[in-house]
Amino acid sequence: MSDHNDVHLEPTPGERFSKFLKRGDIRETLAWATFYTAVFVVLGAYFYPKWMPTVMSTDMKAIERLMVVFTFISAPVCGFVMSIFTQTLRHRHKGDTPPPDGPAIRNNRLATSVFAGVSSLLCLTAIVYGLIELNSSAEAATKDAPNALVVEVTGNQWVWSFNYPSLGVESNVLNLPIDRPVIFQITSADVNHSFWPVQLGVKADANHLATTLAQTTPIKLGTIDVKCAELCGLYHAYMETSGEVMTVSDFNNWVTAQGGHSA
Amino acid sequence: MTTLSPQVSSRPIPNPKKSLITKLNMGTGLIVGVAFALATYYSMQTTLDDATLNFQRNNQVLLATMFMWSIGFLVGIGAFIGPFRWLIGKDLTAEEQLYLAGDGQGIKRYFKYCTDHKVVGIQYLWGVIAMLAVGGSMAMMIRTQLAQPGAKFITPSIYNSLVGLHGITMIVAMIVVATGPFGNFIMPIMIGAADMAFPRLNALSWWVLFTAIPVLCSAWFLGGIPTGWTAYAPLSVQAGPGMNAFIATIIIFAVSTAVAGANITATVIAMRAKGMTWNRVPIFVIGATISVALAVPAFPTFMVSMIQTAMDRTFLTGFFDSNVGGSGWLYAHLFWIMGHPEVYVILLPGVAILMEIVPVFVRMPLFSYTAAVVGFAGIAGLSVLVWAHHMYMSGWLPMLNGPFMVTTEMISIPTGLIFLVILGTLWHGKPWLKVPMLGVYAFLWNMLIGGITGLYLSDVPADNYLHGSMYVTAHFHYTLMGAALTGAVAGLSYWYPKMTGRMLNERAGYISFWFVQIGFQILYLGMFIAGAQGQPRRVSDYAQMYANSNRISTMGAYLIGTGFIVLLWAVIHSWRNGVIAPMNPWGAKTLEWTVPYPVPLVNFDTPPVVTSDPYGYGKAVK
Repeated sequence: MSDHNDVHLEPTPGERFSKFLKRGDIRETLAWATFYTAVFVVLGAYFYPKWMPTVMSTDMKAIERLMVVFTFISAPVCGFVMSIFTQTLRHRHKGDTPPPDGPAIRNNRLATSVFAGVSSLLCLTAIVYGLIELNSSAEAATKDAPNALVVEVTGNQWVWSFNYPSLGVESNVLNLPIDRPVIFQITSADVNHSFWPVQLGVKADANHLATTLAQTTPIKLGTIDVKCAELCGLYHAYMETSGEVMTVSDFNNWVTAQGGHSA
Repeated sequence: MTTLSPQVSSRPIPNPKKSLITKLNMGTGLIVGVAFALATYYSMQTTLDDATLNFQRNNQVLLATMFMWSIGFLVGIGAFIGPFRWLIGKDLTAEEQLYLAGDGQGIKRYFKYCTDHKVVGIQYLWGVIAMLAVGGSMAMMIRTQLAQPGAKFITPSIYNSLVGLHGITMIVAMIVVATGPFGNFIMPIMIGAADMAFPRLNALSWWVLFTAIPVLCSAWFLGGIPTGWTAYAPLSVQAGPGMNAFIATIIIFAVSTAVAGANITATVIAMRAKGMTWNRVPIFVIGATISVALAVPAFPTFMVSMIQTAMDRTFLTGFFDSNVGGSGWLYAHLFWIMGHPEVYVILLPGVAILMEIVPVFVRMPLFSYTAAVVGFAGIAGLSVLVWAHHMYMSGWLPMLNGPFMVTTEMISIPTGLIFLVILGTLWHGKPWLKVPMLGVYAFLWNMLIGGITGLYLSDVPADNYLHGSMYVTAHFHYTLMGAALTGAVAGLSYWYPKMTGRMLNERAGYISFWFVQIGFQILYLGMFIAGAQGQPRRVSDYAQMYANSNRISTMGAYLIGTGFIVLLWAVIHSWRNGVIAPMNPWGAKTLEWTVPYPVPLVNFDTPPVVTSDPYGYGKAVK
C-alpha cells in the first residue's frame, strides 16, 4: 500500500525515466543523435531542392516536398545510428591484443521494443504520407481530366514524337500551355521506352501496342528536357528532345504556325 | 547422404591408376566440353533447314552449342560417374569416394571434381575473385567513358554491352560471394559437420557455375548484351547473338544455385553438431541459410523467363511479343519476382558475416539473437511481396502501386532490427578496429544511406522522378556493394587465416579499406547528384549540366579500383608469404576456430558437442 512517509518507496516510471535521462551514456547518445539528426535535416532540406531541376509542374512540386519530408522522417534514424557509431569509435580499443570483455548484455526487451516501435511508427508515417500524396495526385487528375489537353507521345528507336489530336499538330518538340492540365497518352512503336519530361516530374513507360497514361499541370514557364529513362538500344543516351511551357497566346501562335487550329 | 567416416580415410586406395575417376580433371572437362560444343555447332549448321530465318537459326545453333559445352564439360570432369553407377545399380566404392574427396592430392584437387567442401570453398573464392575483377574492370571502363560529356573512349554499342555484362557478372558474383567461399568452406565446420549433406552436389554446384563463366565471356565476342542485366523484352528478343550467352548463363547459373541452395539448406537442417539447437546456431549460418532458401524459389522464375526468351528467339513463340498477343510486362514480372528477393539473397549473408564479426571484436555477446533472426526472416518474407515496385511506371495496373508501396516500405522495419542487433552489440563496447571490424562501420554508414535512399524510391510519387535515373544506380550500389560486398570482404579478412593458414597482410588491408570506402563515397555521392539532377541511367553520354557530378564519380571509381588492386595483391601475397596464423587469431568462440590448419578431411577428430551459443563473451551484468 502506498505510504507517503515510506523512505523505501519504489521510484515511479516518471522518476526512473528522468534518472535514465541523467545517465552519462544516455546523454551522450542523445547529444550525438540530436546533432546528426540536425545535420541530416539541414542537408536534405538544402541539397535536394538545390540539385533537383526547376519545379515546373504540380507533380514536381509534390515530389520535391516529398523528398524533403522523407529526409525529415528518416533523419532521427540516421541520428541514432550515427550516434552509437561515433561513440563506440571514440572509445575504440588500441593495441594488438583483443580488448577486455565488455558487459554481457544479451538483450534488453524495453530497448528492443522501443526501437521496433519507433521505427515502425516512422515507417507508418512515410507510408501514410506517401498514400495521401498518391491519392491527392490521383484526385487532382480526375478533377482536371475534362478540360485537359491530350498529347499522344510515341517512342520510336530513338526519337520522341508528339501528336496533339485536338489541335491537329504533330511535332518533335513538347510545347505546352501554362496552367492547363495535360494528359499524356504514351505508347511505343518498338521496344520499351520511358517518357521522362524531367522538369514536369512525370515518368511513364512506353510499351508497344499499349497506352500508358500520365497527367500533370505545368505551372511555370521554361524549357523542358525530355529524356528516355529505359534502356532501349544503341542510341538510348541520345533519345532526347526538348520543349517549352509557354503562355497561352505563345502556345496558340505556335499551334497556328504548325498548321493546326487553336484550342 | 554420402559423408565419409574417419575409419574410411585411413584405408589405402587399391590400384587407383586403373580407375577412370583418377584420370579426369579440368583438362579432360575442357576437351570433352569443347568437343561437344564443336560437334553440336557443326552438325546443326549442316543439318538445320535452310528455310529457317537466319536470326532463328543462329540462335538455335548458339544456344545448343552453349548448353552442350556445359554438359560436355561436366561429362569430361566426371560429374556424372556417380549417377551413371546408380543407373546400372551400383555406386562408387568407398575408395573412390575417398579419392573424390581429394585426400592427399595437394593442389591438383582444386582442378578436379572434388567433393571436399573446403576445396569447393576455395574454388568458389577464386571464381568470385575472377568475376569481381572482370566486372570491376568493366566498371572502370564505364566510368572512364562517363568522365566527361561527349567522350569517345568507347562506342555506344560497346558501352551498352559493358553495362549489361558488368551488371550480370557482378550479380552472379555477388550472389555467390559469401555463400560460395564461406558457406562452403567455413559453414560446415561452424556447425560441427564432417562435410556438406551432399558432397557430390556441392562439387556439381561449383563446376556447373564454372561452365557458365566462359559462356558469359563469349557474349563479348558475339556482339555483347545490349539490354542491361534486366534483359527486358522486346529489346532482348530483338538483340543480336550475344543475347544467347546471357540466356544460357542464367539457365546454367539457376541450376547451380538450385543445387547449392538445396545442399546448404539440407546441411544446416540435418548435419548440425550434437547440442547445436536452433538458438545456438551461429548467426552467419542463419543468414546464409535464409538467403539460399530464398534463392531456391526465386531463381526458377528467372530461368523460366530466360527459357521463354530463348523460345521467342529460336521458334518465334511470342511469349513477350505484343504483336502476337505476348506481353513485355509478363517478362518484367517474371524477372522481378526473382529480382527483388535476389537483392536480399545477396545482402543477407554479407550482413550475417558482419554480425558474426561484431561480438568477437567488441568481446560482448550478440545483442538480441532473436531480433536478428526475426529481422532476416522478416526481410526474406516481405521480399517476395514487393517485386512490382520496379514497375510503378511501367503502365501495368497503376491501381496496385499503393499496395506495393506499402509492402516495400514495411521492409524498413525488419531492416531496422538488423541495425538494432549490430548497434546493440556495439553499445558500451570498445571495438578492436582490425580490418574485419572496419567493415562493420562501413556497413552501418553505407546501409544507412542505401536504406534511406531506398525509402524515397519506394514511394510512388518520388519514384516518378527518380525511377530509371542515376539515383537508382547509386542507391543499389550502396546496398549491394557498400553493404553486401563490404560484408564479404570483411569475411575474407576474418576467415582468411582459417582458409589459408596465414594472416592477411594487415597494412594492405587497411590501405585497401580506406581507398575503397572513400572512393565509394565520392563515386556514389556524384551519382546521387547526377540522378537528382535528372540524368537517366545506362547512358553512354550526357548533357553538359551533369559534367561535374560525373567527373566526381569517375575520380571515386579510380580510387575504388586502386583499393581493390591492393586487396588482390594482399590476398595473393599473403597466401604465399603471410605470417603463419595461430589457430584462433581473433579469440572467437565459433567451432571453425577449434580446428587446425590445414583442416582435416573430416574436420573434427571427434565430433564436437555444443553446450551454448558461440557468443558467451563479456562479464556478467549486475
